[in-house]
Order: sequence, then structure tokens, then C-alpha cells
Amino acid sequence: MPSQVVHVIDDDVDVRQSLAFLLSTAGLAVRVHESAIAFLKVLPDAQPGCVVTDIRMPDMDGLELQRRLVELKAGFPVIVMTGHGDVPMAVEAMKTGAVDFIEKPFDDETLLSAIRSALDSHSRNREREDRIQAIRQRLDALSGRERDVLRGLAAGKANKVIAYDLGISARTVEVYRANVMTKMQADSLSELVRMVLMVEGDS
Amino acid sequence: MSETSIALALEAAEARLRSILQTVPDAMIIIDERGRIESLSTTAERLFGYAADEACGRNISLLMPSPYREQHDAYIERYLHTRERRIIGIGRIVVGQRKDGTTFPMHLTVGELRAGERHHFTGFIRDLTDQQLTEDRLKELQSEVTHMSRFTALGEMASTLAHEINQPLTAISNYLKGSRRLLERMEGENVEMLRDAVSRAADQALRAGQIIRRLREFVARGESERRIESLPKLIEDASTLALVGAREHGIAVTFRLDPDADLVLADRIQIQQVLVNLMRNAIDVMSEGGAVRRLDIATAGGQDDQVEVIVADTGSGLAPEVARQLFQPFVTTKRKGMGLGLSICRTIVEAHGGKIWVESPPEGGTIFHFTLRTAPHDRENEHA
Repeated sequence: MPSQVVHVIDDDVDVRQSLAFLLSTAGLAVRVHESAIAFLKVLPDAQPGCVVTDIRMPDMDGLELQRRLVELKAGFPVIVMTGHGDVPMAVEAMKTGAVDFIEKPFDDETLLSAIRSALDSHSRNREREDRIQAIRQRLDALSGRERDVLRGLAAGKANKVIAYDLGISARTVEVYRANVMTKMQADSLSELVRMVLMVEGDS
Repeated sequence: MSETSIALALEAAEARLRSILQTVPDAMIIIDERGRIESLSTTAERLFGYAADEACGRNISLLMPSPYREQHDAYIERYLHTRERRIIGIGRIVVGQRKDGTTFPMHLTVGELRAGERHHFTGFIRDLTDQQLTEDRLKELQSEVTHMSRFTALGEMASTLAHEINQPLTAISNYLKGSRRLLERMEGENVEMLRDAVSRAADQALRAGQIIRRLREFVARGESERRIESLPKLIEDASTLALVGAREHGIAVTFRLDPDADLVLADRIQIQQVLVNLMRNAIDVMSEGGAVRRLDIATAGGQDDQVEVIVADTGSGLAPEVARQLFQPFVTTKRKGMGLGLSICRTIVEAHGGKIWVESPPEGGTIFHFTLRTAPHDRENEHA
């Protein structure tokens, strides 16, 4: 896919340039844009490929950009990058059609595999299915209560709220939560939410 | 005036004084110029625990603790000599001593009475015990509020910091990961070492990001990502990190890990932070001096659903006033410290449902204890 380009959009010049460096060392063609608006301006002439955008930016944020691209039927798969605590925004982006989200700072392999599958719709679908299959298997291993707690966590509820909803102690919720994270092989809450969203988006 | 009328007037005056002494709500004591008690009110009898006839004729220093007791005669003498008022007509808070030896804070106002050549002094005393208790409690509450508000401020700071630091961290790890990719295609004597170093540096940038993320989640939600963790493993990992340089400082480290203290419900990164903090503090303190330099790390299990972790050093120990407020933010004994380490430890431990405290053993050194909740072994059969 030599004609494909990764369009990197981040208002932070250092993050932008470092991403360009990383992606080019992995043999990818990169264009950097300092804002969502700047990217939309050059969109008619933009080389096809995918978009890697920061979610929190002045003027137009990543969510809005995602919406515009869908409206314009631009055909760019979008990967959003989030800072800490932007999980709800990332969830929103996934619901409006972003193909993936990734939390800063990230491991290069995580980003590169997300970009590769975004660029190649064939392998995208295949890889996606493999991943969803793996997540399904992990979900099946959860007990009923663990699944209840998972639903609460995915809805962004605090432990105490989940405990109240389920009529169990917060302490018990904590234990279930610990087990859910281990069984789902999730390193962080955002990763757990990402898994749930992938499966939900599929069904 | 006839002798009889003088006697009558005297008697009337005495009766008036007696009635005043019996009814005046504050404790009142009259002394002569040599400090001898002439009379004391009913309230004063009750307050100090002496009956009037028991106290009268004795020196007023009876009602105060050392060192005031020894100095009081000199106070009166100086006043009679210099006329310089230090308490007369001014009033101040001093300490009184009861018959049973106990002491209490009191407010004392002194008036002067001159009859011919002789001086008398009248003391009015208000017991401040209750007031003091209220003030102590108030101070305690204030410090707790300060702790909380500093923590909220800290939380906001952490949040902003998290966002600001995340960007450069992302750039750092991107550059390093990219460099490692380039190095993979290179050959040469040092390339492998370089590749390894760059790769490790990138991992550290990611680790810093993880610490910040957890700190932020933690201050924002008061929740942390807890898993069922092996306590011995947590201690082992933290030790690897914390004990760098311990041997160079001649510090011997011992571990006594109770096999019953095994699985705990904990945020690995946060509890490691607590452990590293306590161990580093111990090492810092012992590096400053002392013949015996030993760091003992121990665990104890079994009590309820708690396990205890103990970090003990043979350093110079803590001054009592430091020990009391050690877990408050911005309290430090270190020249370069910000005094945040232990207050963060406390917040982390308490958020884990545990307690942290410090002990200063008489033989010296400092012992830190904290508790963690154990993880239940049989969870599948647990029903809610």
C-alpha cells in the first residue's frame, strides 16, 4: 500500500513530529496537520489512507472531525488518540464510527497494528474478527456477577454505584472488578471499555 | 469612731468579704506581699482541691507547678521593687496545679490592694480546661481540613500535570521507539547495546505515563485499579527498585515474610510506590550516619482480613512533634524534600482500606507499619 498515507493531526508540534518520525521508521508515509480545520482544508487533495488524530484540540476536536469525515463520506478510517481521562470521549468517537482509540503515551506496536488494519480493509476485517473472537472467549469465561460488574464499568460507573445497583458491597465489587480485569487481560479501564465497544459494535 | 463601732464595721466588712468569697463565680484568691494565701473563694477551693483552712497561710506557689513554683516569690519581690507590671491588670494564661498534682490551663487576672504600708494581691482565676479541649479539637479538625484541601489542590495539580506531561512523554516514547526501529536495521559493535538501552528508555517513558494515569484516576475517582496480587512479589519488585545503593551505604537488609500474608487486593503500582517510598526514606536516613545500619522488612498475616507490612530502620529516629504530623502534606525532615511522599502513602493506603502508622521504639530507629486487605481465596462460591 505505497500510495496510502497516514494523516497525523495533533495541535502539539512535538507530538506531531515524533509521530511522523516513528511512523516513517516503520516504513509508512506520513503527512502532519496542525489542526482538524487545516486537515479539512486540504482534504480534497489529500492522498488516501487513514487519520490518526488527537481527541482534545482547540477549535475543532477529534470527535467533531470524525463526524465531519462521516458526513463528507471522505472514506478515511479514523484512529483517535486520547489523553488521560478522555475515555468517555473516546467511547463517543467509537460510536460515531472511529475504528480504534489509543491512550497516550502508547506502545508503538499497538499504534502500528491499529494503523495497518485501518489501512488495509481486508486485513482490517480479518484482524478485527480475530480480535473480537478472542474477546468473546474471554467474556464467556466470566461469571454472571462478573459480567454485571463489567457492564457497570463499561457504562462508566464508579464501584460504589455498581455496588448499590447490584445490592452488594463495594468491597465485593472490587474483587469482581479485579477478576474481570485479569480474565479480560485488560491493563487499564480504557482498554476494557475498548474491548466491550468492539464486541458491541460487531453485534 | 468608737472602738465598738470600729469592731462592728470590721465585722461587717469581713462578712461582706466572706459572702463575696462564697458566691463569686470565678475562683478568687487573696495573698499578702510575701505570697501567703489569706483567703480563697469556694470556687477556688473546688478548683484546686484544697479547703480554705488547709491553704490559708501557705505560699501561693503551692497552686502552681514547677518551674513557676520556685520563681513566684521572686516575681512578687521584683514587682514590689520595680513596680513593673507583668501580670497585674493585664491577665494571662498560666498553668495551675491541683492538690492531686494534676495541672490545668487557667486565665489569671491579678489586682493590687494597698492598705497602709501593706500590699495584698487578688487573683481571679478562670479554668480553661474545657475551652482548651475545644481549641485542641478545633486545631485537629483544621489540620484535617487543611489536609483535605491540600489534597484537592494536589488532585487538581495532578490532573493538569498529567495532561501537560503526557504530551512530552508521548513524544519521548515515539522518538525512542522510532530510534529502536532504525537500530534494528543497523549493524556494528555497539548497536545491540544501544538498541537495548533505547528500548529500556522507551519502556520507562511508558511507565511514567502509567504512573501519571493511575494517579490521575485515583485523585479523580478515588478508585484505583486493584487486582489480586501476591504481597511477597510486590515487596520483591519494590525492593529491586528501592534498594539500589543500599549496600554501598553499608546497609544490611533482612526480609521476614509471613507465608500467611500472601494474596492482597491492591493496585500494584500504587502499593509499590508506598513500599519504595518507605524503603528509600529508611535508606536516606541511615546513609546520614549511625553505627548500626539495618533495614528490616517484614509481613504478618492472620488478623481479620488484613495483613501488615513493616519497614523498620535503625536511623536517628523521629522527633515526637514530627512523628505526630508526619503524614500531613508538606511536612518533611529532609532538606530537599517536599514532604509529599508520606502523605501520598497515607492516601494510597487509606484508599486501599488500610491504615498506616509510625512507631518510634525506645531503642531508636523508626518503624513504619501499614495494613492491606487480603483477597478472598474462594470467590466463585461467593454470592451477594
